[in-house]
Amino acid sequence: MIGRVALSIVAAALALAPSHSPAAPELLFRDIAAQAGLTFRHHAAPEKKYIVESMSGGVAMFDYDNDGLPDLYFVDSLTVDTATHPELARSALYRNLGAGRFEDVTEKSGLAHPGWGMGVCTADVDGDGWEDVYVTALGGSHLYHNNHDGTFADVTSAAGVGVPGWPAGCGFADYDHDGRLDLFVSRYVKIDLAHLPEFGKDKTCQYRGIAVQCGPRGLPGESDVLFHNDGNGHFTDVSEKAGVSDPRGYFGLGVAWFDANGDGWPDLYVANDSTPNFLYLNQKDGTFKESAFPWGVAVSEDGAEQGGMGVALGDYDHTGRQSIFVTNFSEEYNDLYHHDGDHFTDVSFRSRTAPVSLPFVGWGDAFLDYDNDTWPDILVVNGHVYPQMDQARFGASAGYRQRKLLFHNKGDGTFDEVAARYGAVLTDEHVSRGLAVGDLDNDGRIDVAINDLDGAPQLLHNEIAERGNWLIVALKGVAPNTGAIGAEITVTTPTGPRTAVVQSGASYISQNDKRQHFGLGTATEAQISVKWPDGRVSTQSNVKANQVVTIQQPAKSK
Amino acid sequence: MIAPLLFVVLLQAGSKPAPQSAGERAALLAQAENAMKSGNRADAKRLFGTAAERYHSVTALMQLARLESEEGHGTAAMRALREARTLAPNSEDVLTAFSEVSLKMQAPVSAILTLEALTRMYPDEPRHPYLLGVALMRVGDVVAAIEPLRKANALEPDRPLTLLALGLAYNSRKEYSEARPLLRRALDLEPENADTMAALAEAESGVGDLASAEHDAARAMQRAPANATANFVIGVVRMAQERYAEARDALLAAAVADPASPKSEYQLSLVYARLGDQAASDEHRTLYERKLRAIEQAVAALHAPATGGVAR
Repeated sequence: MIGRVALSIVAAALALAPSHSPAAPELLFRDIAAQAGLTFRHHAAPEKKYIVESMSGGVAMFDYDNDGLPDLYFVDSLTVDTATHPELARSALYRNLGAGRFEDVTEKSGLAHPGWGMGVCTADVDGDGWEDVYVTALGGSHLYHNNHDGTFADVTSAAGVGVPGWPAGCGFADYDHDGRLDLFVSRYVKIDLAHLPEFGKDKTCQYRGIAVQCGPRGLPGESDVLFHNDGNGHFTDVSEKAGVSDPRGYFGLGVAWFDANGDGWPDLYVANDSTPNFLYLNQKDGTFKESAFPWGVAVSEDGAEQGGMGVALGDYDHTGRQSIFVTNFSEEYNDLYHHDGDHFTDVSFRSRTAPVSLPFVGWGDAFLDYDNDTWPDILVVNGHVYPQMDQARFGASAGYRQRKLLFHNKGDGTFDEVAARYGAVLTDEHVSRGLAVGDLDNDGRIDVAINDLDGAPQLLHNEIAERGNWLIVALKGVAPNTGAIGAEITVTTPTGPRTAVVQSGASYISQNDKRQHFGLGTATEAQISVKWPDGRVSTQSNVKANQVVTIQQPAKSK
Repeated sequence: MIAPLLFVVLLQAGSKPAPQSAGERAALLAQAENAMKSGNRADAKRLFGTAAERYHSVTALMQLARLESEEGHGTAAMRALREARTLAPNSEDVLTAFSEVSLKMQAPVSAILTLEALTRMYPDEPRHPYLLGVALMRVGDVVAAIEPLRKANALEPDRPLTLLALGLAYNSRKEYSEARPLLRRALDLEPENADTMAALAEAESGVGDLASAEHDAARAMQRAPANATANFVIGVVRMAQERYAEARDALLAAAVADPASPKSEYQLSLVYARLGDQAASDEHRTLYERKLRAIEQAVAALHAPATGGVAR
């Protein structure tokens, strides 16, 4: 009887209590991969007993058919068991049909089977106005020439760019100002598939008492490669001469070419796993000087060597300079290196991007202004390398599958992590690797493609309702660098300028859309200034908002 | 890694006097105790040794171990404690003493194994998880140290040393927002503790509150001018303020105060680069790399048998 009375009192109290159901998530991204027709599946061995089974793969967002709509290419990988059967890995090219639909054109394209694929970068290598594709792959990378008809020809041998070993990241840039795009390829670990380090055997194959895959620590690293474009379809390995060969064999992954010191020449940043990162400053004579330590971008602020994976560049505070965001291993933190002009400062904790990143193993990353408020935000995809984490969760690390991190830029040098505000599309747990950003449907809202290890990809269509105005700037460079790779675009509104760089190779071994997206906030027009790779500057004023603007590089006066 | 001097402070706080026994041997023990009280340590050691040999007295062995330990004779102390552990394998006092001496003798792995057993055997005793946490921090496994320290804090709230140890552990994991309230509370309880002030300053610097960090680091340095953490925090704050000469001076002091730590050397390599002194920058980078490798080797050696190694 007393129980019934008590229950009725509780029931009455509940009836009187105001409803406190959690707020429904706001709509930002919707994963349209399945409805868009993306049937790609990335392959990796379920147990990930070897490090080679944990590191793939990249994704590219690029317009291979010059129809104004970015297409998608996902890189697939093999496993130790399927290593001798390259046909079992099927990388996939999807043609963007518009309206959120994609067509699988892989078989026709000839891009299906690069082998044990890792990463991807794109550029118009031969100056014919069509994007070519470079795929890094264990045992030998591939350069695919665009035939202008939806097919690609493997020209690796003729070009001499089939990097052996374990190439991972890549990016094209004209480092010597001869007008032609050169190629840098980072390499990771020296590995012999016939003599793989035994799972869980040595102390470097243990993680908090559980047996895991070995490496990268304890395994020998690979050197990196810089190819000079000779202009006749052939490239020459100039790594040692240029001073970027990495003779110590650091574990190279993410790559970013940009002009770090503002001297007009492309410099090179390389994220290295478990070893210091590199910043190669261009000496303007065909050589580079490694300067990551004095520039403050080699290690964490207390000197710890971190597990660098992905690299993103962004002018997040409207200084006109590119700061660097690097994703790292769990129980480390993701680095935000603020560009102070003649050096960088690690502002990861001051910006409030670091604390929440500690449990996650970060991979693909990008600065993107998802709400067009003029302030570049940051998106990071995560996922552990050890499936065994789920059997024994230790310490501060999250489990094998991990959620994304979305940092909203507050405009004062700090960020709020807001993934939960936007619901399951960001908080559902995945094992993600490559990430690429761009506006797939030219609606002014920036979209995201993600390559998940051992699973289906994600295609995050931006459907945010409240947003600012925007511009997308596409550059047409003078041949042979028709994509104007290395150009800096500054869009100025009444709230200030913001600069972005046209890059080949970005994020974690991936390729962003080379067209640059700018949120304009409430501004209805803007000034666009382009600093072309040859140093000349062109400016357009009073450009109306909410359009894709194509700017042609002026021909050199004779 | 926590500073060695601070570690000794944290460790000493876990001590507890050994129990007494009765009967005929009690007389001998009393005689030994009197000798010890009167400062006649040689007689005390001889009498405790006799009691241990003649009566298999665990108390005598523990007192003998204490005297040997105090005189820096770690091996002799451990020998006595091993004998005591054979006689009383489940004795809380023996096991506690064994773990404490192991820690003092830089044998944290033995201490950890013993303290893990003690923590299970006496789940309501806060001293054991506290010492276990300190021992785990000692081997560099700050992740594993958090849980026992939190347990110790739950069993005995508002103990300043536990709060400090937990705050230091969170600082080491860069979970500064977790560390900050704990260290503030510790400082409420012990307002003059310079180590706590410095640790709080580090947490404040970590969350980006540079003004508070500077204030608390300066307070710590008023009490302990050579405090490594406080000097490091001042160095980092001055770097952010682009007051590089002052940053250099503070970081040099931090490096002297904690000569094994690579992080001051790394920041010094940056500050000299900002000052345009490339040679000094390179020199401190070399020192940083050397110290980093030394710590990695030490942690790997200690870590592998205790927790199964480190893959990354």
